[in-house]
Amino acid sequence: MSCSNLTMWVSSKPSLSDSSSLSFRSFISPFQLPSQSSTPGNPSRSSSVTPVHCGLRELRDRIDSVKNTQKITEAMKLVAAAKVRRAQEAVVNGRPFSESLVEVLYNINEQLQTEDIDAPLTNVRPVKKVALVVVTGDRGLCGGFNNAIIKKAEARIAELKQLGLDYTIISVGKKGNSYFIRRPYIPVDRFLDGSSLPTAKEAQAIADDVFSLFVSEEVDKVELLYTKFVSLVKSDPVIHTLLPLSPKGEICDVNGVCVDAAEDEFFRLTTREGKLTVEREVMRTQTADFSPILQFEQDPVQILDALLPLYLNSQVLRALQESLASELAARMSAMSNATDNAQELKKTLSIVYNRQRQAKITGEILEIVAGANALV
Amino acid sequence: MTLNLCVLTPNRIVWDSEVKEIILSTNSGQIGVLPNHAPIATAVDIGILRIRLNDQWLTMALMGGFARIGNNEITILVNDAERGSDIDPQEAQQALEIAEANLRKAEGKRQTIEANLALRRARTRVEAINAIS
Repeated sequence: MSCSNLTMWVSSKPSLSDSSSLSFRSFISPFQLPSQSSTPGNPSRSSSVTPVHCGLRELRDRIDSVKNTQKITEAMKLVAAAKVRRAQEAVVNGRPFSESLVEVLYNINEQLQTEDIDAPLTNVRPVKKVALVVVTGDRGLCGGFNNAIIKKAEARIAELKQLGLDYTIISVGKKGNSYFIRRPYIPVDRFLDGSSLPTAKEAQAIADDVFSLFVSEEVDKVELLYTKFVSLVKSDPVIHTLLPLSPKGEICDVNGVCVDAAEDEFFRLTTREGKLTVEREVMRTQTADFSPILQFEQDPVQILDALLPLYLNSQVLRALQESLASELAARMSAMSNATDNAQELKKTLSIVYNRQRQAKITGEILEIVAGANALV
Repeated sequence: MTLNLCVLTPNRIVWDSEVKEIILSTNSGQIGVLPNHAPIATAVDIGILRIRLNDQWLTMALMGGFARIGNNEITILVNDAERGSDIDPQEAQQALEIAEANLRKAEGKRQTIEANLALRRARTRVEAINAIS
């Protein structure tokens, strides 16, 4: 507002044809701000004056609120870091299971190479309808995490539409749920809630749903869309074909690139030089040979039938865990950025505040001096 | 010879210690396993697992999976396992009733598959409690 006064002064300067008293008044007006506010004789000027006072107070309030926000974002960052550790523990706890599973699957598969397998979960049918399991987070404030996976889902839906295929969505996580509820034209089979830490129960709920959809031949293919955890600063939304399972224990993505299930990857949060870093470890599970005299209690096909749902579950669980780790990592970096931004904002605001305060003081001193000079 | 039992779920290790004998519900009926059993691989049904420690029998509800026996090592991989003593009887009974009601209401192939699975799980949990008392 003081700027408008200044421009008035500048604009009034060349118009010397006006009475000099007017130009003089407008010249001193910026320095008479406090006293002018009390004079009701010039309402337009007094209204332009008050915001200067408020400006200072507003600035102070803004600086305070930025300080508070910074505290919150800092705390959220630390909480996310602690949770990444817990997510990592969950992965480690699940490893004995997945290792034994892969071992057994490999061996049985070897014995089944010669036979014609017909397990319901490996049935490859002509695809008419596809189910998409979209794994999102429960909460926001984690950068583009939820958007990225939802965008990926939208892109996949568009692709399927172009191919003339039917589709349905199974949405996991609150953010995805609210997104799909707002868009009733997207067919959603089921909404499932995620939780703070994925457990086998949740994975089972998803796997059951997928299983019944597939076995009842309502859908012919199930794809899992989740965010793959690469590092603390990088995570990729990916699409994995969940069903039909390949009996060899491989997971294939849409492009047909197969990942060996025996290559068990897990992430590890470590502190290096006082900073949090994440290492991704690739473990090659040793597939020890079964004793050759091992007998099958049932048909190998029946055993495969019992194994594949387990495998399905562990795949879903793995995806949930990866997604959670990515969400936490995304939140960590988003919050760290927010903290940095808040700090910068605080700095600029402080500078503006100090300048304005100084300008006000200078103005007051000049006013006093001018007043004293007038008396002499 | 001692027999080592290891029950694994995707979340955790439920059991990993020595036992005297177990009775396992497989897809083709119950089998008892004593030390020095012939090596076999079998599918495990949704059902209860009985474990004998000295003279004491314990039960566990298993939610379907796979078992491998050999070399006096039993590895059971299941989707979920709960010890009978950890299950809340009232909650399990309620779940069973709900599952029964759901099966009666089920329409279509898909719902029937789901309801049947849920019912079998619920029944197993109730059985696991009753086997103790």
